Amino acid sequence: MHVNKNWFVKVVGFVGLGVASGAALAETPVSMWVHSGPGPEREVYAAAVKSFNDSQKDIKLELVALPEGSYSDQINAAALARKLPCILDFDGPNVYNYAWTKKIIPLDDFAELKPIKADLLPSLLRQGTFNKKLYSVGQYDSGLAIWGNKKLLTKAGIRIPAKVSEAWTFAEFEDALKKLKAAGVAYPLDMKFNYGFGEWFTYGFSPIVQSFGGDLINRNGFKTAQGAINGPEAVRAMTTLQNWTKNGYVNASTHDDGDFVKGTAALSYVGHWTYSDYKKALGNDLVLIPMPKFGKKAVTGAGSWNFGITADCKDPRAAAKVIGHLMSSAQILQLTDVNGAIPGTMTALKASKNYAAGGPLAIYAEQATEHVSLVRPETPAYPAITSAFAEAVKNIVAGSDVKKELDKAAKKIDQNIEDNNGYPVK
Amino acid sequence: MHKALKTSEPYRIMTSNPALTSGASAPSIPSSAKRKGRLTPWFFAAPGLTLLLLFLVLPFLLALVLSFTDQRLVTNEEIGTHFVGLRNYIRLFDDDSFWAALRNNFFFVVIVTPIQSALALLLALLVNQKLAGARIFRTIYFMPVATTMAVVAVVWSLLYAPDQGVINRLVGVLSFGMVGPQDWLRNPTLVMPAVMLLSIWQGVGFQMLVFLAGLQSIPLDLYEAAKLDGATARQQFLYVTLPMLKNTTIFVLITTTIYAFQLFTQVQIIANSGTPAPVDSFRTMVMLMVQEGFSNGKIGYASAISVVFFLIVLAISLVQRLLLKEERAV
Amino acid sequence: MSAVPFQPSLGRSKMIARVLQYALHIALVLFFLFPLVFMFVSAFKGDELQLLKDMGSMMAFVPHGDVSGKNFASVFSSSSFRQAFFNSTFTVSITVILGILVNSMLAYALARFRFRGRTLILTAIIALIIIPFEAIAVPLLMLVNELPWFSGTRGWLDSYQVQIIPFVAHAFSIYLFYQFFIALPKDLEEAAMMDGASRLRIYWSIVMPLSKPVIATVAVLQFLSRWGDLLWPVMVVRGDNYATLPLAMQTFFGQYPRHWGEVMAFAAMATLPTLSLFIVFQRWFVRSAISSGVKG
Repeated sequence: MHVNKNWFVKVVGFVGLGVASGAALAETPVSMWVHSGPGPEREVYAAAVKSFNDSQKDIKLELVALPEGSYSDQINAAALARKLPCILDFDGPNVYNYAWTKKIIPLDDFAELKPIKADLLPSLLRQGTFNKKLYSVGQYDSGLAIWGNKKLLTKAGIRIPAKVSEAWTFAEFEDALKKLKAAGVAYPLDMKFNYGFGEWFTYGFSPIVQSFGGDLINRNGFKTAQGAINGPEAVRAMTTLQNWTKNGYVNASTHDDGDFVKGTAALSYVGHWTYSDYKKALGNDLVLIPMPKFGKKAVTGAGSWNFGITADCKDPRAAAKVIGHLMSSAQILQLTDVNGAIPGTMTALKASKNYAAGGPLAIYAEQATEHVSLVRPETPAYPAITSAFAEAVKNIVAGSDVKKELDKAAKKIDQNIEDNNGYPVK
Repeated sequence: MHKALKTSEPYRIMTSNPALTSGASAPSIPSSAKRKGRLTPWFFAAPGLTLLLLFLVLPFLLALVLSFTDQRLVTNEEIGTHFVGLRNYIRLFDDDSFWAALRNNFFFVVIVTPIQSALALLLALLVNQKLAGARIFRTIYFMPVATTMAVVAVVWSLLYAPDQGVINRLVGVLSFGMVGPQDWLRNPTLVMPAVMLLSIWQGVGFQMLVFLAGLQSIPLDLYEAAKLDGATARQQFLYVTLPMLKNTTIFVLITTTIYAFQLFTQVQIIANSGTPAPVDSFRTMVMLMVQEGFSNGKIGYASAISVVFFLIVLAISLVQRLLLKEERAV
Repeated sequence: MSAVPFQPSLGRSKMIARVLQYALHIALVLFFLFPLVFMFVSAFKGDELQLLKDMGSMMAFVPHGDVSGKNFASVFSSSSFRQAFFNSTFTVSITVILGILVNSMLAYALARFRFRGRTLILTAIIALIIIPFEAIAVPLLMLVNELPWFSGTRGWLDSYQVQIIPFVAHAFSIYLFYQFFIALPKDLEEAAMMDGASRLRIYWSIVMPLSKPVIATVAVLQFLSRWGDLLWPVMVVRGDNYATLPLAMQTFFGQYPRHWGEVMAFAAMATLPTLSLFIVFQRWFVRSAISSGVKG
């Protein structure tokens, strides 16, 4: 049944070399892992691999798509087994930990990647940099705001903000929820709890904490989470979230991805990746609403999945060539046109129709340029931070005591930092 | 059961009889082959011993050692691995999640062990009756045991669906509408009972067979004698069946208890079922160990959990030995 | 079914008892069968909405509407069921076969030879029975990751051997074999030895053929514990290539969007082989349950 493909490829490769004695039969295999999330990326990646393999004869790119839920466990296990693929697709904020544990190597020295580095969106450049070296490049940055169903919102008499400066205040936002509920929308706000436990909880809900004035960790030196993740602002933010579920504004137990398209929700708090599905379902009724100002200012998430080259890679130069191909404007736009994300290079961004002024997704770009977006903590402790925070969120929406859960998260994060001697960098 | 227990008798005789252990008992080996003969037992024993040492004894000792270190899953050369004394244990006893896990295990034991054992006894008594179809009933009651636990947990997690789920509907009908629909796997107070119900459903058939074996090994003349003395059916059950099932019962209680501490598959599947209840309301020790050691890479900490887990199982086993002392030599 | 512990002797009350017993049996049969029936029936419901709607009524247990093998077909095309099924069958059967050999040999040495260290080894093995696998899983993970393999690579993660070799030697199985061998009359063996047969020959052609009952017991117990194991695969296997059924079940179950009809089809196909195996070899299972009564 199962044939170990690597072994097989190697043997075939060697035999091929021997037989053809130097004829260019042997292709360098480059393996690549990508996550198969809820979005339409999977097909685009498959097409990108095909186009790359068809475009040249020296490198054979092999794609493995793994479920997002257990993706970081898979990476840890593969690192343990010294079997990381050549190219790794991973969620942005993990880059600091992967670089610190030497799972991935710096990209600065690859000639193919130098022009890309210069062209990268500033947010992605910042995301991919650890200890002054660039470790990862992404095809896109994420956009997080609120999708609205124009028909339902108008019917309930709710003002629809069209740009960042018009963003809802906290009171306006809660008033909108109340009005929608009264208008018969079963659960007005869809917050994608069906995604389950994972990075979504941190990516999606930490901006609420930050908008209220809290954060996941004290960013000054990244040495402690005490007072940040469990400070009064964070507690207020998470209590608010808990109340939304208690009041029936949000269905925290939904298993259904379709609440918004079916109209059982009028607002969908989710990232760019739902764009094409939503557009298909709602057509002109779909509006993109900027992040509300829950506290003093609006905050949204930033950063997204990106590529790195692993330390287990036998031929990093071939891997760099692959990444070079994936970072071409054509490849980037093919992906962002379907997943709705912000194109990852300045060149691609300028060429994008969705992101042109007045385009359907211009709000995302506006949030990025008007400093509404905030990167997740740039520290190797990030995996510990995200798992502690996500667990707290999960327990909080299920009804646990907010302060107690956040205290627990703070303790876990601080223990992790202590366990790793404060993550020293040479 | 009794027959099986008796088979351990020869062992007691042999190990306690110096004449047998001195080698005098094997006169049948020709003296010319003595030299070669000395190596023969090792030839038979070596594969098994090697594997036991490598995959049971060594990891067991490693667990003890690692529990005093800050070993990570993937070692980091920047900071290395150090002995940290009792830090893992101190943190463990200070960790709410650990206590919650321990509580969940104990809750499971306290409810499941008696109910599952009693139900198993009831089933055994029922299928032991001379009743047409008893064999078929026995087969049906055992069928869940032959179903993989991961599958059982998946199927039940759909049965437990909120609102219009099968279990909700059943509970509604059985309570004549008194009990409304529940969100079994998301409600922190209901998730453990939900796990318990599916565990009992899956496991009780096995204990039923053990009890059945115990029942069938009770000599029939005991009942005849009781009948002659005018004992009623109830009296026969209380004064013949139950005392004769003492060892079987102890065995069933102890193994169910140990099994309950090993609880993992069901809760792991439920944890992966989407958005379940707060994890501390159903996470067990083994699941915590896997998450800390594997997902969080804290091998030292997870080893400390392993050690505590082992000590609990050891204590239970010692209780069993104590209870069975009169019957058993080893 | 020989023992009839307490049977009322009066005809009338006997009748009532009968009726009560059957009533109880019927209730129990419903309890034990409904999840299985639900699983099999749902697996054939091609219409997901229908399946979910049916859950609130008896229709949950009735195949109706779009009854088809559609779910099965998509499980085959969209999941690694085939590979997982092969992996489970392969790893478990090799483990069981090697286990029978290795454990019986060690038990044979302990039961039939007097050698230095015998008592110590025997006592140690009996003590080892109480170490549950869960207590050693974490350090074992670290250990197997450092072990070499014949291919020249280091580390056993993501392989077949990592799911086989650590489980071959099994203290409790050794103990069961030992008890059985001890109770076995020695006359045949002694006669064979007089005829000059080697110990290996005696073990293979005399002892093992006489040990079929204990072999069956050990095989069934090992099979049940290995077939259902999720803990170890979760730790040592990534991806589909070496995943066994429980792990593949978890992965398939955790995939979004979740299609319950397909999940039930996967579950049904994972269940059917063990279930039919059990019905065919019921006697062996019963016997294993009985012998496990000596565990402790």
